[in-house]
Amino acid sequence: MTTVLWMTVPYVALTSFVLGHVWRYRHDQFGWTTRSSQLHESRLLRLGSPMFHFGLLAVIGGHVLGIAVPASWTEALGVSEFAYHLVSVSAGTLSGLVTVAGLAILLYRRVTVPAVRKATTTNDKIMYVLLTTAIATGMLNTVGSNLIGGGYDYRATVSPWFRGLFTIHPRPELMVGTPVSFQVHNLVVLALLALWPYTRLVHVFSAPLGYLVRPYVVYRGRDPRRPDVRRYARAWQTPSSTPAARR
Amino acid sequence: MTETTDSRAATGAGMDTGLTDSLLRLGRHFRRGETSADLRTLHQIGGRSADVFYRDRWAYDKVVRSTHGVNCTGSCSWKVYVKDGIITWEAQQTDYPSIGPDKPEYEPRGCPRGASFSWYTYSPARVRYPYVRGTLLELYREAKERLKDPVLAWADVVDDAEKARRYKSARGKGGFVRAEWWEAAEIVAAAHVHTIKRYGPDRVAGFSPIPAMSMVSHAAGARFISLVGGAMLSFYDWYADLPVASPQVFGDQTDVPESADWFDAGYLIMWGSNVPVTRTPDAHYMTEARYRGQKVIVVSPDYGDHTKFADEWLPARPGTDAALAMAMGHVILKEFFVDRQTPPFVDYVKRYTDLPFLVTVAEGDEGWLPGKFLTAADLGESGEGAAAKTVLLDAATGEPVVPRGSLGHRFTESGQGRWNLDLGGVDPLLSLHGDHAEPVTVRLPRFDTTEPGVLCRGVPTRMVHGRRVTTVFDLLLAQYGVGRPGLPGDWPTGYDDAAQPYTPAWQEPITGVPAAAAERIAREFADNAERSGGRSMILMGAGTNHWFHSDQIYRSFLALVMLTGCQGVNGGGWAHYVGQEKCRPITGWSTLAFGLDWSRPPRQMQGTVYWYLATDQWRYDPFTAEAMASPLAKGRFAGRTAADNIALASRLGWMPSYPTFNRNPLDLADEAERLGKDAAQHVVDGLSTGHLRFACEDPDAPENFPRCLTVWRANLLGSSAKGNEYFLRHLLGTDSNLQTSDHAGVRPAEVTWRDEAPVGKLDLLLSLDFRMTSTTLFSDVVLPAATWYEKHDLSSTDMHPYVHAFSPAISPPWEAKTDFEAFHRIARGFSWLAEKHLGVRRDIVAVPLQHDTADATAQPGGRVLDWKAGECEPIPGRTMPRLVVVERDYAAVGEKMAALGPLVDRLGVTTKGVTVHPDAEVEYLKAANGVIPSGIAAGRPSLARDTHAAEAILALSGTTNGRLATEGFRALERRTGTRLADLAAENEGKRITFADTQARPVPVITSPEWSGSETGGRRYAPFTINTERLKPWHTLTGRQHFYLDHDWMAELGEQLPIFRPPLDMTALFDEPGVGALEGAGGHKAITVRYLTPHSKWSIHSAYQDNLHMLTLSRGGQTIWMSDVDAAKIGVSDNDWIEAVNRNGVVVARAIVSHRMPEGTVFMYHAQDRAVDVPRTERTGKRGGIHNALTRLMIKPSHLIGGYAQQSFALNYHGPTGNQRDEVTTIRRRSQEVQY
Repeated sequence: MTTVLWMTVPYVALTSFVLGHVWRYRHDQFGWTTRSSQLHESRLLRLGSPMFHFGLLAVIGGHVLGIAVPASWTEALGVSEFAYHLVSVSAGTLSGLVTVAGLAILLYRRVTVPAVRKATTTNDKIMYVLLTTAIATGMLNTVGSNLIGGGYDYRATVSPWFRGLFTIHPRPELMVGTPVSFQVHNLVVLALLALWPYTRLVHVFSAPLGYLVRPYVVYRGRDPRRPDVRRYARAWQTPSSTPAARR
Repeated sequence: MTETTDSRAATGAGMDTGLTDSLLRLGRHFRRGETSADLRTLHQIGGRSADVFYRDRWAYDKVVRSTHGVNCTGSCSWKVYVKDGIITWEAQQTDYPSIGPDKPEYEPRGCPRGASFSWYTYSPARVRYPYVRGTLLELYREAKERLKDPVLAWADVVDDAEKARRYKSARGKGGFVRAEWWEAAEIVAAAHVHTIKRYGPDRVAGFSPIPAMSMVSHAAGARFISLVGGAMLSFYDWYADLPVASPQVFGDQTDVPESADWFDAGYLIMWGSNVPVTRTPDAHYMTEARYRGQKVIVVSPDYGDHTKFADEWLPARPGTDAALAMAMGHVILKEFFVDRQTPPFVDYVKRYTDLPFLVTVAEGDEGWLPGKFLTAADLGESGEGAAAKTVLLDAATGEPVVPRGSLGHRFTESGQGRWNLDLGGVDPLLSLHGDHAEPVTVRLPRFDTTEPGVLCRGVPTRMVHGRRVTTVFDLLLAQYGVGRPGLPGDWPTGYDDAAQPYTPAWQEPITGVPAAAAERIAREFADNAERSGGRSMILMGAGTNHWFHSDQIYRSFLALVMLTGCQGVNGGGWAHYVGQEKCRPITGWSTLAFGLDWSRPPRQMQGTVYWYLATDQWRYDPFTAEAMASPLAKGRFAGRTAADNIALASRLGWMPSYPTFNRNPLDLADEAERLGKDAAQHVVDGLSTGHLRFACEDPDAPENFPRCLTVWRANLLGSSAKGNEYFLRHLLGTDSNLQTSDHAGVRPAEVTWRDEAPVGKLDLLLSLDFRMTSTTLFSDVVLPAATWYEKHDLSSTDMHPYVHAFSPAISPPWEAKTDFEAFHRIARGFSWLAEKHLGVRRDIVAVPLQHDTADATAQPGGRVLDWKAGECEPIPGRTMPRLVVVERDYAAVGEKMAALGPLVDRLGVTTKGVTVHPDAEVEYLKAANGVIPSGIAAGRPSLARDTHAAEAILALSGTTNGRLATEGFRALERRTGTRLADLAAENEGKRITFADTQARPVPVITSPEWSGSETGGRRYAPFTINTERLKPWHTLTGRQHFYLDHDWMAELGEQLPIFRPPLDMTALFDEPGVGALEGAGGHKAITVRYLTPHSKWSIHSAYQDNLHMLTLSRGGQTIWMSDVDAAKIGVSDNDWIEAVNRNGVVVARAIVSHRMPEGTVFMYHAQDRAVDVPRTERTGKRGGIHNALTRLMIKPSHLIGGYAQQSFALNYHGPTGNQRDEVTTIRRRSQEVQY
């Protein structure tokens, strides 16, 4: 069971995440979109969307810090466990609260504004449930376990387990005995990652960061070394012959 | 360029802020490519692959020309785009040949409906496989297993009352299962063989409207039906689109200007035709003409889409249009004929109308009445055709003259070269008014009062050959109430006399249009016509043409354009736009469609009469025809129901009558042969002795039921079936929401009444369609048809002058087949089964007296003489239908379908009385299509493929073959003695081939098949050949008729144009009055006029279920009502409401709009039952469609036949299936609906 939950499931989820994106990009570039609902409602969106997105960026940054960076590294830098926790819990709680508040606004908007509600697909609903659960359990871990509870040093268990997945030295046994809330959080996030490429979340990879530093008008010349390969003839090349001629 | 940007950069013309500038400068380090000095543009090489997906989205690999074979007059050519073998979208063709530099072009043509068509190809509505209702298929398979013969198996199922009831009562309740094509075709073939063998071929019928919208597909099915001896049903009159006034006045089915001719008009009244909505691709000519200075008037009860284009809007109440038109006629007669004689008008009416012709006035019991036209026979002439030659007075001598051009010259030997409008120097006397006239007071009916009344008005008369006569013009002035000094009677004191018809003040309380506006518009209309040479036009359509008395509404309109000399002039006259499609290559199409190349005559049935009897609506009339009669009637309709009148019209040869006799006509022929008698004589003997009866005299006898009906290219039960619930109950035998019973029905005088009305008369309803409609849902067998993007066919319209092709963009997907292929399969199966069961048989066909033949002179004077009552002898072709024996080789039907038969060369082909001999064309077709190598059609040109049929249609028609057009004109020249052939001479060597139509829309050739001229590239306007080349109209006088003297016209009080209000449904059917409120609180209900106009989001039922159109419209069944009416019964916009009357129940959503006038609701035509139709509260059954609230009523005058222009031809003359006079009671229902 341990192996299935903490080795098979993660690899299946991550495989789905990677291959799913490749497949989606090849077959559904038209669907590669946020499906923005700004057209239906913008007042709440203007408030909720930045809160959620920037909050989430901070949250993700915190995760990188907490999971990708081994405890030994921070210790080597002279950051004590307490100091680390102080920073992670305070910053994590703050960014988490902003994210949750943003998400709450967005969900409220999605439910109460009829046009936005009607533009919500089943796919969206499943995604929202997973996303909300992931964030809720994450907050529970940060606030509940570390702030209110006695604190839990996930850097000794969860983080190395996660890193092990990428170094191809999976250590599922590390997850045994971790708090249930962390286990649930991990599984929900894995489910979210598995479904990611099939939802509107693909827009993460299309964040228009380049727009900040790019001129508005772009001219793209043909690359003489790599001529266009087209499935279809150009409009002006298409023979619009009469059926009689073809008959 | 670079220099400029550099200089701008140098002057510091950067971006919005310094921050932006720095970001952009920073960006230069992150990418390849060159950023311009002003930081606004980036030039890079490559990177174009990112938008390939977008380019591919709109890429395609083939474009195919096709069009939409929908019942729409657009006939727009479209580009159909195909990508990877899938139809992706369509776009308007733009290659219509130019119509010259002085007018806007025909392209762009199209509308959102057409642009959405490709959705159907792969939609859930698509019929993909042959379907048979499970109950029927099981019964059939079981019987076939047992009896080993498809025909016996079918007989086994339909002859067993219980089995028949089982599958008939399941109609419309789902349960379709897939069948193989061969099995579905076998069932259909077996049903036809059995029906022909048991009951006769006239129990088989086909319904497919509007050949112009896809001629090959229409002809394929009609050819099968006709070759087996079945009856093709008319549709134009059945749709109530036929303006009966057109045959009455012009002697022509309908001929109208093309839309570019609107641009020629100086004054345009849109009166019952909502051009932007129903003639969308053509409406631009109307808007463009306004920039040229054209004045546009709209007469419409609601604030319709066309109203916003109008300079003035006259909101006449629904159905009162004739009152307004009569008042306008009053003004024109007064100001342009009496106060001042307007030379062009007077000259026009003398030459081209019946106004100068003499009419007898006869003294009745209570006074003088207008009688019959004076004829040459009355003058003592006894030569041929004398009774059909009308008379006028020479103004110079005062002597009677028999001018050329009347019907008596048309078919007689002596009339050769004399059938023309050349008056030969005679100046016709328009009015007898003057010193020598003897005024008498004639009695004229009026219908504007609660009870019809009588007007007494004087006309000047004179004695001619012992008869007291006056002119039509004098009668017209009396009718319109335009007084002259010295004439007795009651006349209006002026325009402001509201008590006397037909003044502007009189019409005001009826129509709601201010008297001053009516007067002014009339004056402007005539004044424009006078100054522009007749360029005043009236666009009319369904809004004024779908009423019970529409023929009178239209006659009052046509009076306006005839009095002002506008008819037969470019930019002037009538422009009737509802259902008026024009199959331009008519001769070729009709030859193929009715199998005229193999056998003649075909059976052609009048649709309204057929359905009225077949659906037993005749049992539900609580009144006799007397309810319609004039107060001056002679009592001819006393005690006679509409069914009685139909029986009379059938046996007098006025109307076709199929099923004809209460015996199988094949058996009758056999019997005559056994007895060694002439078949016709055998029938006459049987009828005289009473052994044989007309089927219409006992429509409910099982031997007289219609048995097999095939519907294709049509949605009978979703669109046109007036009295839908009667169809469901009596014809189909399934559930209906009929809210009345036949207890109150008046028992007919001569038609047999059976106490128990039959249900489920029809044995087989076969439909071919590409989408599921109300008709397919009720069918027994549904065959999957190819769409308009999947077949070869031809399209034309009267709105533009081109013919163009349908072409398959893809092969029919799934198991769909073209109509052509489907009917050939059925025919082959039929022939195979017929070889054993039918063989070669002789069939007695009863043919009504036909228009455009000598039959039109059969019953002179329009005097009704009934041979059954002993008033005359039964003589086929004179006092009763012609009886013709036709040999039918049933086993050869399949072979005959696929080859052009020999009668084309032997007898020639005839359209509207003009016969041509297409010998050269037959040779051409042999070369083009190939020759049939063996069998019954050996050596004949092939029609085995749809392209062959298209080629034959084009080759055999004058409009598409200059040689035949010229030959036709030469034939006509021999009759008229005037010069005509030059009209087609410029195109004598031109033949339009099918390939031409595939390449580009092709303008047609001026041909005697139609009444207007396109010669020299002019725009088509009807009757220009009549006015310019003095070719007579196909009427009694050869002129346009104001006066109709048939006995029944007098009986109805409709000899002259007159105002008849909408039918009073309270008096006739005991419905609540319009405006009546009943109930209280939340259960209030209001009774309103119920109109079913044509919609913006559909063409009949097509497109209304299309996702794009559902999105653009409210979607689902809706009823538009005024905010005032809605408030009275507590209805808000989008509420569910229920509309009820005696005919049925409709559940719909209300659209509450101040656009609607109080007291009237719209339920747009043909919102099919396939989308959003819940159960009713009233019955618990599924609600009906728009026709659930309508029913048929037969106007007696439409049954008239055998007399001049009032003679039968298919879709030319016959009762209309009108539905506009209906009322309904509406209430808000529970907002919880169940499906």
